[in-house]
This record gives sequence, structure tokens and C-alpha cells, in this order.
Amino acid sequence: MKMANRIAIAFAVVLVCLPGVAYRAAAQELAAEAKDKEAAEARKKRNALQFENNATTIVFYDRTGKRTGSLGERTLYGETVLSPDGSRVAVVKNDLDGETADLFILDVKTGASTRLTTSARTEFVMGPVWSPDSSRIAYVTILKGQEGIYIRPANGQGTAEKIYSNPGAFLNLSDWSADGKFLTFAFSDMQGGTLYTLAVDGGPDRKAVEVFHTDLRVFAPKFSPDGRFLSYIMIDKANKAEVFVRPSTPTTTNEPWQVSDGTVSPAFWRRDGKELYYLARDQAVMVAEVNTSPSFSFQKPKVLFKQASAVPDRLTNVSADGERFLALPPARGPQLQQITIFDRKGEVLQKVGDPGLYGGPAFSPDGTRLLVSKTDQQKAQADLWIIELASGKAMQLTKDSYPKVSPMWSRDGKYIYYTSFRAGDLPIYRRLSDGSGDEEFVFKWTPGAFVGVTDISPDGKYLVCDGGGIILTVPLTGDPATRKEIEYLREEFTDTTGRLSPDGRFMMFRSDEEKPERGEVYVRTFDPSTGKAGEGKWKVSKDGVMAMLHWRADGKEVFFRGQNLESNELLVMAADVTTGPTFTASTPKVLFKLPGPLGGNLGNISPDGQRFVFAVNVPAAGTK
Amino acid sequence: MIRRILFSVAFAVLALAQGTSAHHNMTALFDFNDRVTLNGTLTKVDWRNPHAYLTLDVKNTGGAMESWSAEGPSPTWFRIRDVGKADFESSIGKSLTVELSRARDHSLSGLIRTITLPNGRVVSACPQNC
Repeated sequence: MKMANRIAIAFAVVLVCLPGVAYRAAAQELAAEAKDKEAAEARKKRNALQFENNATTIVFYDRTGKRTGSLGERTLYGETVLSPDGSRVAVVKNDLDGETADLFILDVKTGASTRLTTSARTEFVMGPVWSPDSSRIAYVTILKGQEGIYIRPANGQGTAEKIYSNPGAFLNLSDWSADGKFLTFAFSDMQGGTLYTLAVDGGPDRKAVEVFHTDLRVFAPKFSPDGRFLSYIMIDKANKAEVFVRPSTPTTTNEPWQVSDGTVSPAFWRRDGKELYYLARDQAVMVAEVNTSPSFSFQKPKVLFKQASAVPDRLTNVSADGERFLALPPARGPQLQQITIFDRKGEVLQKVGDPGLYGGPAFSPDGTRLLVSKTDQQKAQADLWIIELASGKAMQLTKDSYPKVSPMWSRDGKYIYYTSFRAGDLPIYRRLSDGSGDEEFVFKWTPGAFVGVTDISPDGKYLVCDGGGIILTVPLTGDPATRKEIEYLREEFTDTTGRLSPDGRFMMFRSDEEKPERGEVYVRTFDPSTGKAGEGKWKVSKDGVMAMLHWRADGKEVFFRGQNLESNELLVMAADVTTGPTFTASTPKVLFKLPGPLGGNLGNISPDGQRFVFAVNVPAAGTK
Repeated sequence: MIRRILFSVAFAVLALAQGTSAHHNMTALFDFNDRVTLNGTLTKVDWRNPHAYLTLDVKNTGGAMESWSAEGPSPTWFRIRDVGKADFESSIGKSLTVELSRARDHSLSGLIRTITLPNGRVVSACPQNC
């Protein structure tokens, strides 16, 4: 072919193709815009629901535990800090739509609100502390990617002055000394924790002074009124928090004093330095008589008051005179959970035990037992329990203070697998479901990385795990310390909750591929010889999925919780499926609906697909 | 953010924030006090969970070309901030500036603190990556 002809043909092809290419590009852009718009709308609806479920007001208690008043609009409060003169409260309000948290000052007498900060999207304020004369506020915020401590007038006038730049993030600013000269803050990570003091007047090159470093995590340092000591919280290797006091200057001569026997709050000094308050594990407000001269000494802490409710208001701050206590009540009133089993029509089949602080009930593979997470309010500790459904007999499986998430039955019901939060790391352990024997280490991913078990393969050879939006399989062979994960599904979308079919050939999972902020149920093949995905991908749901992905034991039906962005109503969905020779699914239908919200507890289905268990919220009023 | 609201005590927020705000605990692998600002040519984008990775060709002080790996937040994190895969893919072959916290093992890698795209837009990865 002559060159001229080639050029002519090429030119003609380009002319024919160009409009098509342009059209496709425009169509892709429009589709992307539509997807973004749909995601934004979904996010807005979800935020509105979260606001309704979590917004609350501030309440006051006196020293006798009597509620004496309330303050502020119903909103999503973060920290709330009374001014030293008691006339105002500095509050951090969370804005879900703006993805910000900003600082406001509320007048205790009038309720008037003054806005102090306006953060850019995804940036936020934390750790407000008052100057001793109640005229200024110091706080931590991130501006243009740089975290720092800022000071500004509390009346909303004037500008903010940056006094310290933090190279990292999540600096825990917690007090301003009574002489006005110093701030104190803590920083903790996997390497341990450090307490610092920082001169308020020190010029732009002021340096923080390291008071104390430990390989444990430390938080919330607060100056004694004479400035000679710091109280602080230290969390030990067993995840137990205690109130300690030590000198406010670097020294190796003084041992710290442990004041508490378990705390779930920072400590607060009375302005005369004679009392120290904190919240015990059982939610009792504790007071310790203390003295700071000639050295620190204290009496055994006593209960000042304890709220009567089984689900008490959350104590957040104490006035400088020790007469008023700020708290945030539960948004929907005090609630406990009743473990309840439903049939396929949503009718109650059985209520299991008494109401308590329960989460994540799950049927054993033979359907005779339930695995639940139960929080003991006296110890502020959540543990795993096994409940026999026929007798109601309950057995405590774990007895430790580490937070435990993603508990899962092995396919034969012999073991319980779970992720345990330990000093910044999140390894997976297992233990025998009959309570005998010791905990066994199973797997650890990247240091500090969350990994949660979502399934175990029918042949028992693989764990299926969630981790950072990807689905992992972990071969259960060899030395647990050297086990390596396999990336079953790693893409730009957030993929979670991998669940293998009973024949082990297909993996059902949730992905936000098509609907960011929502997610749908998909199925892909699973190759048991490699632990990886094979060819083939099918979409099962069409109107969004929340959680609770399950296969019926015969592999002929799948279940999931549908997603309703505009109400708390819980939708239990089901679809008929086949897995041989290939995967097919019918259009999902609603099996039944329940009133929500159920919060983070996901619900579970018996292997035969006939029983559905949820931890249903019930009012806690009148219970203890 | 809702996570911050739900935890019951202030220090619990801080205790858990660093463990859950990202796929892994950043301070275990990266040194926030050892920062470097690189100006180089973007050669590769790995746009996947749990972290997006950018590869840049950067001239070192001796004039030799080095290939740096920069770890970012997840694609979802970028999407919420209206920065998409296309913004990075269209930047391949172009000049990009990144500020990194260097890896503790002193390899040619780091954790992204800020990115300046070829169009001048600055994307901060804090607090997730700080």
C-alpha cells in the first residue's frame, strides 16, 4: 500500500473514531459525576441519621450526684471543659457534613454560644484548655497539614497565635498551669508515651520540656494547683488505666504515686489542691484527699457519688471548686440490649437471658450455642461469653481487659477466633469454645494494623480477614509467628466481610465499587489451592448492604442486612442462590424488618437459615 | 469522626485514635521527626487499598537519579477530599512535590504528609499520616 493511501485510511479511521472516543470520555465523566453526587447524597443521609442517633446536651451534677441543670443545644459534643471561674464551658462540636470539629464557648447563665474556630474540611480542633484567669483558650488543631497548639481570646475577639508545632499528630493537650506560665501535654504511640510541659511565653522557638517517658501509654497530664506535680493517666500492658502523680519537672529521684485502683477518666484537681477526682471503672465518681506540701501524699479514694442508672451519663469535666460535674447523657436515653432470636417472619422465638450490655451475638455451627460480647460495667471490661440456648447457661470465655473484636466460631465449633487490641497492636488469637486451655496466638499483620476474622474456610485451611479495605486469606499452616497473608482482593474499592460458600468455591463480600458510601454484595470465585480469587464475579444486591453476610449451610440461600439511609429500620434480606456448576442469584427480597438502631452489633443467622439473632436495644430505666 | 464521638472517655479516644485512624500505626514504620521534601517526576501510581503508593524519580544531591516510594492514605480517603485516581494518573511524567516522613529503615521511602500536584493543588494527608 502506498504511503498516501495509508495516511488517508488512518485519517479516515481517526475521523470515524474521534466522535466515539469523545462521546465515551464525556459519558465516563458524566457517570463519575453522577456517582460522586449519589455518594454525597448518601453521605448526607447517613450523617443525618447518625446525628439523630448520637446528638445530646450537656448536663450538670452536684457533689451528691443530683442532676442540677443542662446546657447547650442538642448536638454532637466532643470535649467539654468548664472555665476556672465557672461561668463558661469550652466545647468541641462535631460537624459530620463538614467533617470538622470546632471550638465554641457556651455561657452557663444564658446559654449563648460564641464560635471560636472554623476548620477546613477534614481538619478539627481538640484538647481545649482554659487560661487560669478564664480569658484565653489554648487548643490543638491541624492547619494545612501541620498540627500545632494555638492560643486565642475566649471572647471570640482577636486572632489565634500558634505557639507550638507538632511534627506528628494527636498531641494530647490537657492543662494550663495555675500561674499561667505553662501548658502540659502528652504524646503516646507504639513506642510508648511522654509527658511534656511547654512555656506559654517563650517566643517562636520555644521547646517542649520532656518530663517523663515510659514504654507505656500516658494521657491527660494535669498540673496540681501549686504547679509542683502532674497527675496523669497511664495504661499498662494489660490495658488497665490508672491515675498517677509525679513531679512536674524532670526528675529521677521521685517515684510516681498511684492514686487510683482503676480509672476510666482523667483526674481533676480542686483549685485548693486538696482533692483529686476521677471516674472509677464502675462509673462511680471518686474523690481522694491529697496534699502537695512538703511532698505529695493522698488518702485512699472514696466514692463521692454514683449514678443510679445501669447506663450512666458520661462524666467529662469537673469545676475548679469541685462542686459541679459535667456529663453527656446517652443520646437515646440509657439502653441495654436484650439478646433476641427471631424467625424468618420477624416473630420473636426466644429472649436469651436478661438485658445487659451485649454485642455481636453469633450462632455456633450446630445452632445450639451463642457467642456474645458482654460488658461488665463494674470492671469496664468487655469479654466473650458462650450461652447454651436450651438451658440459658452462660460461660465466660475470656477474662482480660484487652478490647476484643471480630469474634468468630471455627467451622467445627471447637474454637473461637478474635482480634485483641494490645498496646497498639492487633493480633488474632483463638481459644477453645469450651473454655478449657490457654489462648493461642494465630496471626499478626503489619505492626499496628487492624485485621479482623470474617470467616474460616470449610476445610479449615484458611482464615478470611478484613484489613484496611482489602480481603486477606491466611493459610493456617506452619509456625503462627511466620504466617503470611495472601491478598485475596486488593483494589481501589473498599472490600470487606469475606464469607466463603459452604462448598468453599465462592466468596461473598461487600464492596463500595458501584456505590461509594453504600456498598453492595458481590460474589467471586475462591481457589482453595492458592487462597486467591479466580475468574468470575457476580453482584447479588441492588439497593445497598449494611452487614451480616451469611450463606445458608446447604449453600442455596444467602442473607444480608439491607441499607436504609433514611431510617434506623433494619432490613433482613435473602436471595436464593446456586453454586453449581456456576454461581447464580435471584433478586433479593425482604424477609422481615425490625425497628432500629442496633448500633454496631451486626446480627447473625443460624446455619439452617431459620433463626436470626440480634442484640435489641431496650430501655435501661429502673435497672441497675 | 463518629468514632471519636462514640468512645466513652477522652483518653480512650486518644489511646485508640492512633491505632484505628489508619491501616497501621504510622510511627512504627516512619519517623515524623525525619522529614524530606522531594521534587521529582511521578512515574507510577498504585491506586489500591489500604494505601495508595506513588513512585517518583528524584535527582539526589550528587545528580544521580533515585526512585522513591511514597505511601499515602487509602483511595477512599482521597475520594472524600475530592481527589481522584485521574488526578494522579494524569500527573504521570510530570513534576510533583511531596513532603515525606522518612522510613525508619532509611530506605528510599516515606509516608506522605503533603502532595503538591502539577496544577498547584496541595493535598495534606494529616492527621491520618502524621
